[in-house]
Amino acid sequence: MIKRFVFIGCICFFTLQIIHAQSQDSLALDFHFKFNETPLVIGQEFVSKQKDSLKINTFRFYVSDIQLLFADNSTAQIKESHLVDLEMPATQKISLIPNSKKRVKAVVFSIGVDSLASVSGALSGDLDPTKGMYWAWQSGYINMKIEGQSPSCKTRKNQFQFHIGGYLEPNNALRTLTFNPKKSNVIEVSIDLAAFFDEVPLAEVNSVMIPGKRGIQLADISTKMFSVE
Amino acid sequence: MKMLARNIVLVSFTLLICAAFAYKKTTPLYLEVPKDWPEPAYDFSKNPLTEEGFQLGRHLFYDPIISRDSTISCASCHMQATGFTHVDHELSHGIEGKIGTRNSLALINLAWTKDFLWDGGANHLEVQPLNPITNPVEMDETLEHVVAKLQKTEKYPRMFEAAFGTSKITGQLTLKALTQFMLMLKSSNSKYDKVMRHQESFNPSEQKGYALFRKNCASCHTEPLFSSGKFENNGLAVDATLNDFGRMKITNRTEDSLRFKVPTLRNIQFTFPYMHDGRFKTLTEVVKHYNSIQKTKGIPKELSEPMHLSDNDRTDLVAFMKTLTDTEFLYNPRFSYPK
Repeated sequence: MIKRFVFIGCICFFTLQIIHAQSQDSLALDFHFKFNETPLVIGQEFVSKQKDSLKINTFRFYVSDIQLLFADNSTAQIKESHLVDLEMPATQKISLIPNSKKRVKAVVFSIGVDSLASVSGALSGDLDPTKGMYWAWQSGYINMKIEGQSPSCKTRKNQFQFHIGGYLEPNNALRTLTFNPKKSNVIEVSIDLAAFFDEVPLAEVNSVMIPGKRGIQLADISTKMFSVE
Repeated sequence: MKMLARNIVLVSFTLLICAAFAYKKTTPLYLEVPKDWPEPAYDFSKNPLTEEGFQLGRHLFYDPIISRDSTISCASCHMQATGFTHVDHELSHGIEGKIGTRNSLALINLAWTKDFLWDGGANHLEVQPLNPITNPVEMDETLEHVVAKLQKTEKYPRMFEAAFGTSKITGQLTLKALTQFMLMLKSSNSKYDKVMRHQESFNPSEQKGYALFRKNCASCHTEPLFSSGKFENNGLAVDATLNDFGRMKITNRTEDSLRFKVPTLRNIQFTFPYMHDGRFKTLTEVVKHYNSIQKTKGIPKELSEPMHLSDNDRTDLVAFMKTLTDTEFLYNPRFSYPK
């Protein structure tokens, strides 16, 4: 009987060791949020170059189709979409490849969801329509949602709401980013929301919730928030 | 060590037996495509029809739990006996008696439908229910909250387990179940269908009406579904109290101004009132509209001339339209409130 417990104990121990080793060596995308040089905190007040003081309540976006180019010129692709949510730390690290020691030369990923997903009916996981990232009146995913409050917005409760999306040309809001990370294992992606609000005067632009020209402009601006060390 | 090996064998064997019993088979369901009909637009491979999925969808369809205050179900605006639409209301009403901006569409032969809602805003049957669920004047709820409410019931986790092999309810599975019910709403056994199958014949008035229909209406209300599935401007002046420009809101294209979905004419006798804003109460009024249509901007060439039908012709045309009534569909107990 004791023998059996020791045996099971050993198995558990080795399994934990393996998991631990994997987490150390696995390749991941790690997202950090900031406003200029300050870490971004929900509900905290920030001021943009537009002189808008603002608070962020919601910030969520999809990351899809992650492609990796390694130093040895081999490649890897992770097609699934991940929903990164400022409110949920568990979503802010995307594990890519376990046990990888290869150096990454370039990483490419899309902000948003590709058009195929937007015409495929009800999907599961991060793409489940319960995630609040699906338009009801016009089918298709919201690629990025930024919501908050600013006294500059003469709206109900001084709210601003940006739901950036649209999969049909010419209003396709999907954006693809390419970076060349200097570090090897964990790819640190920093997202500076100041880069967005410095270009969006909240007194004039505070409610964009449909695909269209405005959505496209915001999608373009949103890419400026992302950088990789 | 020998004992351990024996234990492992024993445990695996027990697990295997348990698994075999736990895996209850679902009963497959088939949607038969009537002879000479096109292939369905829906891809069944991603959501195979089962009796359990269909029944779950049927319960969801008739359950007001889907609305914020549990007062409105899908069936509130889509009643079976009237072709699954909201009869006698120009504009459908939802939660707390709030009035919407459109007349609810009939739910008929949806497996053959590509675009949903009057303006085609929904591109897939599975995501169409998100519109009424979240619309503040319809159900004013979120899918996330619907799922949480369903999970807390005694009945639904069990039904999801039976249909999808998991009692963990998700938005995707809720929508897939609703879709299974809607896909089965096939109407193909009207008098018209029986005549086409040489089982019955039209009376002289219906026969004349059919000829008039083929000449004047069939280019948009294409047989056998009685809809081209397209969006057209049918010459109705915009209602200034609604300012609804239809398809243009979705596509942002000016040529889509005042274009609305061409609805099916199946069971049209019972789906009154007619048009996207329910402005006509009777088929006679509808026929009169096309009979004296004014040439306006954006009207398709098929409608550029009024029909100029005589009173007798108009009666015959309406007589034909009534042959599209499928009482078997309207009273099929499989589609009714689940008991």
